Amino acid sequence: SHILKRNRDLTKAWKGKTEQLLRVNEHDFTMRPAFGGPAIPVGVDVQVESLDSISEVDMDFTMTLYLRHYWKDERLSFPSTNNKSMTFDGRLVKKIWVPDVFFVHSKRSFIHDTTTDNIMLRVFPDGHVLYSMRVTVTAMCNMDFSHFPLDSQTCSLELESYAYTDEDLMLYWKNGNESLKTDEKISLSQFLIQKFHTTSRLAFYSSTGWYNRLYINFTLRRHIFFFLLQTYFPATLMVMLSWVSFWIDRRAVPARVSLGITTVLTMSTIITGVNASMPRVSYIKAVDIYLWVSFVFVFLSVLEYAAVNYLTTVQERKERKLRERFPCSCGIPHSKTMMLDGNYSESDANSLAGYTRNQMVPEEEKPEKMVVHLAMSNESNSSRKRGLKGHVGLRIIQNTHAIDKYSRLIFPGTYIFFNLIYWSVFS
Amino acid sequence: SKREIKMRKLDSTKVRPLKTEQLLHIEDHDFALRPGFGGSPIPVGIDVQVESIDSISEVDMDFTMTLYLRHYWKDERLSFQSNKNKSMTFDGRLIKKIWVPDVFFVHSKRSFIHDTTVENIMLRVYPDGNVLFSLRITVSAMCFMDFSRFPLDTQNCSLELESYAYNEDDLMLYWKHGNKSLSTDEHISLSQFFIEEFSASSGLAFYSSTGWYNRLFINFALRRHIFFFVLQSYFPAMLMVMLSWVSFWIDRRAVPARVSLGITTVLTMSTIMTGVSASMPQVSYIKAVDVYLWISFLFVFLSVIEYAAVNYLTTIEERKQLKKRGKASGMYSMDAVQAMAFDGCFHDTDVDMDLTPFPEPCEENETRTSQTNVSNADTPRLKRKRSLKGNVGRIILQNNHVIDTYSRIIFPSVYIVFNFFYWGLYI
Repeated sequence: SHILKRNRDLTKAWKGKTEQLLRVNEHDFTMRPAFGGPAIPVGVDVQVESLDSISEVDMDFTMTLYLRHYWKDERLSFPSTNNKSMTFDGRLVKKIWVPDVFFVHSKRSFIHDTTTDNIMLRVFPDGHVLYSMRVTVTAMCNMDFSHFPLDSQTCSLELESYAYTDEDLMLYWKNGNESLKTDEKISLSQFLIQKFHTTSRLAFYSSTGWYNRLYINFTLRRHIFFFLLQTYFPATLMVMLSWVSFWIDRRAVPARVSLGITTVLTMSTIITGVNASMPRVSYIKAVDIYLWVSFVFVFLSVLEYAAVNYLTTVQERKERKLRERFPCSCGIPHSKTMMLDGNYSESDANSLAGYTRNQMVPEEEKPEKMVVHLAMSNESNSSRKRGLKGHVGLRIIQNTHAIDKYSRLIFPGTYIFFNLIYWSVFS
Repeated sequence: SKREIKMRKLDSTKVRPLKTEQLLHIEDHDFALRPGFGGSPIPVGIDVQVESIDSISEVDMDFTMTLYLRHYWKDERLSFQSNKNKSMTFDGRLIKKIWVPDVFFVHSKRSFIHDTTVENIMLRVYPDGNVLFSLRITVSAMCFMDFSRFPLDTQNCSLELESYAYNEDDLMLYWKHGNKSLSTDEHISLSQFFIEEFSASSGLAFYSSTGWYNRLFINFALRRHIFFFVLQSYFPAMLMVMLSWVSFWIDRRAVPARVSLGITTVLTMSTIMTGVSASMPQVSYIKAVDVYLWISFLFVFLSVIEYAAVNYLTTIEERKQLKKRGKASGMYSMDAVQAMAFDGCFHDTDVDMDLTPFPEPCEENETRTSQTNVSNADTPRLKRKRSLKGNVGRIILQNNHVIDTYSRIIFPSVYIVFNFFYWGLYI
């Protein structure tokens, strides 16, 4: 059939057909241009429309992009006076040869087809072809979570021709590094997209040979703010809340125990919450380190109170034994003892009280104890009468156990030190 | 070869042996070429009727919309003879054989043409070649959302239509009736949002590799209904803060009660905060609801710290007074009985803790050595010998630590001021 010249009369409908213009009927789309000859160079240009999502659990990312191919097929050349390109309907690609680029390591991908296949075919008079399509592809990205959530992930999308090796089809970036463009407002809520850049390499398949592979690389840096608000702050606050226990009187057993155990429960809930949205990796993540060390601090505060309580009970037992050995010859009336006991029997509700009203303060050891006590409390002289008061007063003074005193300093100090090390290592 | 165009028979009782091919010259029609190929751009009018907005997803930052999309253009190749000037409606499958505009939705993630029971496509041709092409489509498109005022926010989303292959020189896309091209079903509504307005606009989009394209926008604004979040997040948080204030009114000797009240409100606040974040994208800035919840958390946390301070200071005070009391009791053997009576009073309190502050009389006896001291404080002595009730009353009065007294006023008022600021700022 003839090649009809383009009708200059625009009022009439174009009577030529594509088949006539592009000689599609003679075009054998199974054979690449220059079949049997040198490799055909196919230039690739990509415009990234959006990064739809990054999934940690699946370790993949979803990207929507415009993929453009440029090559020259002389079979499609047509005469033209003004050297302008002609745009054809997308369904024409079924009748001509097009490069078979695919995405290596992709899980799912599709060409958008609303309202029609999002395909553009533009042919220049000398046979150059521009073939563009809009594709959404979900591809694998190996992520390393050892620094999560202070991590950066590097992902890449790889393009390769499926059938044609290096000798048949040379895939290259059309404009070098400028081939990759991104929409202005491309952004992710959780990540900062640091840079997009292109590279190309050769990939070897033992059964089929060497292929050109093009890479679209990008680096994502995670925004820490969300995790600070969601995980780090609550954990820090829980640890601080557990320190409150050291300032509460050690005789308040239910209070201190419930404080400790509730903070342990909250820490446990926070830990579970973080792990819900994470893949189950076999190494420890940065956030795990923080949460588990905080958990240990909170746990230790519960153990600390158990130690304080135990030692207090032991101490009381000793003091009770001491009292038993002393007959009440000091002239201190029962009343005083009872006053003493009265104080202690008020704490009947907690287990610290070991005294009954009938017990007497043993006196034999009292002087020694008093001496010791008085020496500790810087009293000038010991008189029995004063001694009791001193004894009682010292008991109250000793109501802050040494462990508590030290804990008030050691726990915060160690935790702050841990924080300094943690943030300097991981930031 | 040309076929004859048969005239429409007026006798409709007979079956017409006419075929579409004959009527519309499908065989001559090259669908790869647009109308006016090689000539001036073809104007394509667009009309949209929005059937529903199916969902808005904050986590994915997209929206799903179902709409009727209608195209109007003129293709002279499809003109046919008719004496009534009435349009003819054809089966949807005919579009595979004619040229149709390739409109696509920019920034769409997923879209499809409904195909139950057959593809929802309408093709109507007028005798002069005007074509009406209508589709029913559901499209999920990206909408960039800003959550800094969530949940008191308004989101602006837009759906963008563009031709994929044909740029401005080939196809001119325009709204058929200007601003009135966009119509919505009467009962279009969302559960969580109030749809403020739909508007249509148009613009030009530039692609560096392919040129300028006409782009049409369907814009709408969504205002979130606050009621759900008030019920779900704000009220519980407010109630938790108020509950933590109850602790200031409880006797400070009730250590386990106040501690567990404080710590349980902290735990509940923590749970509320986790619940809100579950359905939100992980953004890197603070949202309005975060501000409210974190400040409420801070209030609750401070109430725990406040009680720790009260408890600690009470213990110190008690220690001091026991010391003094110890001195004094050595002098007054008969007062010891009354002191016991004092203790008896303290017995009556059911609380576990004997954080008993001592009445003023004891403090005034501090500097006494023997009788001399007695004379310094006549009133207290008198008080001591007076009925127990007075002393008890004084003891109970003084059982309010000054911190508690101030906290009862300061905490609520500061919280109310915060609420005024917050709601004034965001609404």
